[in-house]
Amino acid sequence: MNNSIIFRKEVGERINEIREADILAGIPSYNNARTIGHVVKAVQAGFAKYFPDKKCVLVNSDGGSTDGTAEIVQNAGIESYQAILISHRATPSFKITTPYHGIPGKGSAFRTIFEIASALDAKACAVVDSDLRSITPEWIELLIKPVVEGGFDYVAPLYHRHKYDGTITNSIIYPLTRALYGKRIRQPIGGDFGFSGRLANFYLTKDVWETDVAKYGIDIWMTTTAIANNFKVCQSFLGAKIHDPKDPGADLSAMLHQVVGATFDLMETYSDAWKTIKGSEPLLTCGFQYAVGLEPVNVNVDRMIEKFKLGAKELCSLWEVFLSKDVLDFLCGSQKLSKDEFRMPDSIWAEIIYSFALACHKKIINKEHLLKSLTPLYIGRVASFVMETWESSAEEVEDRIGKLCLTFEDKKDFLLNNWQ
Amino acid sequence: MGNFLQRIAIEPFERFFDKVVQFLPNFLTALLILIIGVVLGVILRGVFLRLFKAIGLDRVSERSGVIELLKKGGIKDSVSVLLSRIIGWITVVIFAVISMRELEIPTVERLFESFLLYLPSVFVAALILLFGYLLGNFFGRAALIASVNAGIRFSGVIGKFVKFTVFILSATMALEQLGIGSGTIIIAFAIIFGGIVLALAIAFGLGGRDIAKEYLEKKVKGNEKKDEISHL
Repeated sequence: MNNSIIFRKEVGERINEIREADILAGIPSYNNARTIGHVVKAVQAGFAKYFPDKKCVLVNSDGGSTDGTAEIVQNAGIESYQAILISHRATPSFKITTPYHGIPGKGSAFRTIFEIASALDAKACAVVDSDLRSITPEWIELLIKPVVEGGFDYVAPLYHRHKYDGTITNSIIYPLTRALYGKRIRQPIGGDFGFSGRLANFYLTKDVWETDVAKYGIDIWMTTTAIANNFKVCQSFLGAKIHDPKDPGADLSAMLHQVVGATFDLMETYSDAWKTIKGSEPLLTCGFQYAVGLEPVNVNVDRMIEKFKLGAKELCSLWEVFLSKDVLDFLCGSQKLSKDEFRMPDSIWAEIIYSFALACHKKIINKEHLLKSLTPLYIGRVASFVMETWESSAEEVEDRIGKLCLTFEDKKDFLLNNWQ
Repeated sequence: MGNFLQRIAIEPFERFFDKVVQFLPNFLTALLILIIGVVLGVILRGVFLRLFKAIGLDRVSERSGVIELLKKGGIKDSVSVLLSRIIGWITVVIFAVISMRELEIPTVERLFESFLLYLPSVFVAALILLFGYLLGNFFGRAALIASVNAGIRFSGVIGKFVKFTVFILSATMALEQLGIGSGTIIIAFAIIFGGIVLALAIAFGLGGRDIAKEYLEKKVKGNEKKDEISHL
C-alpha cells in the first residue's frame, strides 16, 4: 500500500482539502490532448446539470503524457453555464490531476481513481475514456444516477456502435461472459462504467495490479468481479460511441492476449460461480434508446483471410494438442476454400474459444504463446462475420450476435465436461 | 636342482601368494563397498521416485516440453522414473569408483581420476544441450507466432531458423565445455552463422528488391486499403 498514489504528498494535500465527495468521475489518459478537453467539459457539464447539489470531483489519472494532456485537463472548464442551460452551480466541482504509478496501462490508472474515490469516501463513481468524441453530459447522469437513485453497484455502458466496431467484444468477450455468468451485459469491456463507492473499495481489496488487469484487462475484470460477486448490475444506453482511432501500431495479438487472458484468468478465479449457471437473463437497461448514424468502416477481407490461412497452415501443429479433430479438419479444409466460400460457423468458433480456455486452464503450453496464436483464428472469424453480414442492417447484425451467444450457451457443457 | 626349483617355481608362487594375501582384504573391502553402493542406489532410486511423483514433477515437465523432448529422443519413461534411475546409477558409479580406489591399482586409480574430473564437464554439457533445446523450442515458437501474426509468408522458415540457431549455439557451448576443438567450433559456428546472415542479406537485397520497392511505395503513397476495425 506504500506505493499507493494517495501517499503522494500533493495528492494527499488535495484530498485533505476536498475531504469527501458525493460523486467522483475518473478519466484515465495517455497522450489524449486532442480529445480530453471535450471529455473534461462534458463531465463538468454533467456534474453541473444533473448533480448541482452534490459535491463532485473529477480525477485525471495520467500515464505520463508528453503532449500537454495534463495542462489541457487543468485548463478545461465550462466557459458559460448559460450556454448549456444551467442558471447556476450550487456546489463547485473539484479537479485532481495526477500521474499514476505501476505497470503502464489503463488498469493502473483506474487503481489510482479507485484509491482517490476510497480516500474521499465517494458514494458513486464513473470512469470514462479520454479518447471519446461522442460523450455528452448525459453520460454522467446515465452512469451515476442508477447508483445514486437506483441502488445499483455497477452500471455497464450500452452503445450503438458500427457493426464492425468492437469485434473482440462481439465475437469473444460478450458471448463468453454471457454464457459463463448468465448476464447479458452487451458491452462488458466498453470502457465507460458507473459504480458505487462500495464496489470501488471492493476492487481495491483485490491483488491484481501486477497482472494483465493493470493493462487492457481492467474492463473485463471490473465487469466480471461485479457480476461474479453478486453486486447489483444494470446497463445504461449512452448513444453512439465514437472515439479517436486507436494507435495503429497497437498490436492486435497483444490486445487479444491481455483481454482474453484476463477473461480466462477470471474463469479460474470464479469457476464456482459460472459452473452452476445455465442460460442467461437480460439486465435492466436505463436510458432512452434511439438509432444513430455511424461512419462506415473500411475492412480488407482479402488480407484477413490471407492471414487466417497462413496461421492455419503454420500453427496447426501447435493447436493439434488441444483442438478437436472436427475443428482441425475444418481449419485444414478451409485452406482450399475461395474467399466467397470461406465461412467459420458459430459452433466451430465457440468450440475454438472454449478449447483455448481449457488449454489455458490445463496450462498445456505457454500462456502468451497460446493466446497470441489465437490471433489468426480471430481474424478468420471476423472476416467470416464481415462477409456474412455485409448487406445486413445494425439490427440484423445484433440478432446475428445474439445467435452466436446462444451457441456459446448451448456449448457450455463442452467446457464444463472438460474442465477438471 | 632343489635351489633351481625353489627360484623358478616356489618363490614366484610365494610372491604371488603374498600379493594375493595383501590384495584380498582390499578386494573384499572393495566388493563390500560396491554391494553397499548397489543396495543404496536401489533404495535412493525408490525414495526419489516417490518424492518426484509427490511433488508433481511429471506434470511440470509435461508443461515445459521436457516430455516431448524425451519422446523425440526415443525415451518413453517419465521424468520421475528417468531422474530417479539416474540418481540410482550415479550412486552405484560413485561407490564403484570408491571401491576401485580401495583396490589400490595405480593404473585404475589414474583412469578413474581422469574420468571423475571429466564427469562435471559432461554433466554441464548435457544441461546446456537440454536448456538449448528447450529455449530453441520456446523462441522458435514465439518467432513463428509473431511472424504469422505479422502476416509474413515464410513464417515457418523463420520459426525453424530461430529454433535451430539457438540449438546450434547451445551445442557449440556444450562442445566447448567438453573441450572438443573449442576454438575450431567457435570459428566454424561464426563462419556458418555469418554466412547464413550474409546469404540472407544478399538474397533479400537481390531477390526482394521489387517487393521492397512495392512495399515502400505502398507505405509512402498509402494506397493500401487499411482496416479501420476497432477490435476493443
